[in-house]
Amino acid sequence: MTTIDGSSIKKLIVACDAGMGSSVMLAGQLKKQLKKNGVTVEHSPVAHIPADADLVVTQAGLADRARGVVPDVPVVPFQLFLGDPKVAKIVKAIQDGTSVEV
Amino acid sequence: MAQAALTDLLQEESIRLDCTATDRLDAVRQCGQALVAVGAADETYVDAMLQREQSVSTFVGEGVAIPHGTLAGKESVKRDALVVLRFPDGVDWDGNDVRVCVGIAAAGGGHVAILSQLAEILLDPAKAERLRSATDAQQVYDLLTPDED
Repeated sequence: MTTIDGSSIKKLIVACDAGMGSSVMLAGQLKKQLKKNGVTVEHSPVAHIPADADLVVTQAGLADRARGVVPDVPVVPFQLFLGDPKVAKIVKAIQDGTSVEV
Repeated sequence: MAQAALTDLLQEESIRLDCTATDRLDAVRQCGQALVAVGAADETYVDAMLQREQSVSTFVGEGVAIPHGTLAGKESVKRDALVVLRFPDGVDWDGNDVRVCVGIAAAGGGHVAILSQLAEILLDPAKAERLRSATDAQQVYDLLTPDED
């Protein structure tokens, strides 16, 4: 479990292997949902996750690789590309500025 | 996005609505060949797509998969392009029934708006059903045209 403080997230990275498929789809959704919250949402290949990210979400199978790239940034793995309950919790925490355990 | 940009990325000849595949890797190979056929990538990209599919599935729900290459495979991409292949009989995708594959070749970000729109479709069961049952290219274009906002 990781505790995420929604109010501290300013840059959220959606990572996938190539950064051209699934991460693009999810990043587009999150960008829309977080547009009003001043959060930068970007998609990235796992190997190129920027070090100044506040939070990384990625497919469960890629989470360990993501942690290896940015050991100091919380990495939240998801199972479903769209409508994953963990991702929904994070979005709500950022929107409300609250903390959440995921 | 204007329709012109959409048809640049997704050419009418790249919308094939009556395909059959023996298995999921055959379907991925067909998507790759379709991308090669429109000059979006060279042959090595097909291998990158197969490799990616075998390491992490590109199934995204609602009977849709989005086969694409690996980071290393990006070097074989010549331009951003999409293909839409429909398999009316379904393809077994690790236990999931896939009816539509959206194959992706992307070096830049030209396809971002369309993929966001695809996400919108997949979150709306009625639209997803329309995509799975599309019988002409215009229906696919209509669904994938990004909403104004």
